[in-house]
Amino acid sequence: MNVLRINGLTKKYGRIKAVDELSLEVEQGMAYGILGPNGSGKTTTLGMVLDITHPDSGSFEWFEGQYGRDARRHVGALLETPNFYPYLNAIDNLGIVAHIKQVKAPRFDELLKLVNLYERRTSKFRTYSLGMKQRLAIASAMVGDPEVLIFDEPTNGLDPQGIAEIRNTLQRIAETGKTIIMASHILDEVEKVCSHVAIIKNGHLLASGTVGAIISDDFLVEVAAEDMPGLQAAFKTDSRIKKAELQEEGVLLLHLENETPAAAINEWAFSKGHTLSHLRIVKKSLEAEFLEITANQ
Amino acid sequence: MLYLLRLEWKKIRKLTSFRLFSICYLILLPAILLTGLRFDELPPPINTNEVFFMFPTVWQYLGYIGNWLCFFFFGFLSIVVVTTEHSYRTMRQNIITGLSRQQYFLSKFYLIVVVSLLAALYYALCGFTIGYLNTEAIYWHKVWQNADYIPRYFLMCLGYMSFGLFLGFMIRRTGIALFLYLAYIMFIELILRWGVHLQIVEHRSMHFYPMNAVEDLVALPFLEMADEFTSKYGFSIYLQPWEASITVLVYSALFLYLAYWRVTRSDL
Repeated sequence: MNVLRINGLTKKYGRIKAVDELSLEVEQGMAYGILGPNGSGKTTTLGMVLDITHPDSGSFEWFEGQYGRDARRHVGALLETPNFYPYLNAIDNLGIVAHIKQVKAPRFDELLKLVNLYERRTSKFRTYSLGMKQRLAIASAMVGDPEVLIFDEPTNGLDPQGIAEIRNTLQRIAETGKTIIMASHILDEVEKVCSHVAIIKNGHLLASGTVGAIISDDFLVEVAAEDMPGLQAAFKTDSRIKKAELQEEGVLLLHLENETPAAAINEWAFSKGHTLSHLRIVKKSLEAEFLEITANQ
Repeated sequence: MLYLLRLEWKKIRKLTSFRLFSICYLILLPAILLTGLRFDELPPPINTNEVFFMFPTVWQYLGYIGNWLCFFFFGFLSIVVVTTEHSYRTMRQNIITGLSRQQYFLSKFYLIVVVSLLAALYYALCGFTIGYLNTEAIYWHKVWQNADYIPRYFLMCLGYMSFGLFLGFMIRRTGIALFLYLAYIMFIELILRWGVHLQIVEHRSMHFYPMNAVEDLVALPFLEMADEFTSKYGFSIYLQPWEASITVLVYSALFLYLAYWRVTRSDL
């Protein structure tokens, strides 16, 4: 089933287009990452599909329209900061969420244990640390076991231990086959949790697809020889090499499907009549790759 | 409707300002009237303090005290329940969680109706009790003579709270909204009416301002100035109760509509 379909959504703030003709589709069971730098329109997009921001144009549809205007009750969402009543404790706060979602028998204890807040369940929200607030927000998104979970920068502002905890929790949820939509500017986070990804920048969709296809995990090797055009031509026709690009620094960057020893590459070059003057294995970081994708546009 | 009211109850039952305002109202309404016991002799035309506690005048005096208390406590409450949800960003979260904007607005509207209803019932209860204990010969027609004060009292409270809700939704900041609420009722409207309107036209249309109409629903029981005013300008200083009622209903509807418009249109 199609969980969310966004069609040409646009939002302008004055002359700035926060989201520009954005279209994407999320299928049931996907862990869908929306990846983009800060200010790229991720939160604005989620705000629009959650009815808190009015789009200037475009449309969206939840669950192929089967719940109509009540669709949000079937979605658990955490947007930007955790928002709760500071004078109420965790149980009371979750009670309000369950009331709005009309959940008959909410299992608060179970949820609070899942996010490690059970011991502090009767403390007022205002006494919580940032990490605890964030974890309560995750628990609150899961009240009533909604069909889709939306997380917006779920690890924002947390310490490394908190980040690890939240990511583990998210991974566990994703593994249960629940549909997740997660916005993040941290590529590593998306890669760990998500199966699909859409990369957006300045409100534009740059690329979308499975994480494997978008964020390539090619094995990269830099080579150089005296006759660079000849070397490139030789490698371009080689079926073992996916791509051979000439870099600005005067080296040739080879994309290989699998990890290959340097000696083998040297041998391939030699067999084509080229003596390599430079050979370096580059494991390009995903971070750099992400920066490259967003910078090219 | 019950669904939304129960939601509001979950939100406010542990809210400090709600508890504080309610307790203040519950204690002060009878307590202030009872301080009248200390004044045995009063200047004419009141003469004796008995009128404070006897049917049918108890309705007027108790009502006038309630007028001030509702203006302060319930007016403030109606602002606070809206603006705090803005500063905590819980209104936004309520919508994300699944409430529609209409439902969110209705939950606040139902809240002020119920609070006004309870305030008026408590006023009625206090009025009956005090009147019953202090009137020697009880005639039912005397008891009921001014009982129309009860629905008027309800409308008065609702009038204050609609205005508060309007300011809360429009301004969103607790401090500024409270300040404007006080400033408008205590100064701005008075300046508009007496300093501007009356100077331009000496006509009783100067009374048809929203908060003046609310105050006139349960007006100051006896005012020498009122007679002076009438002889000077040729029209009464107060609106007739029915005029005040209609005026309050019209303005409240307008305030609530504008608040609703704001809720449905704005980005959160």
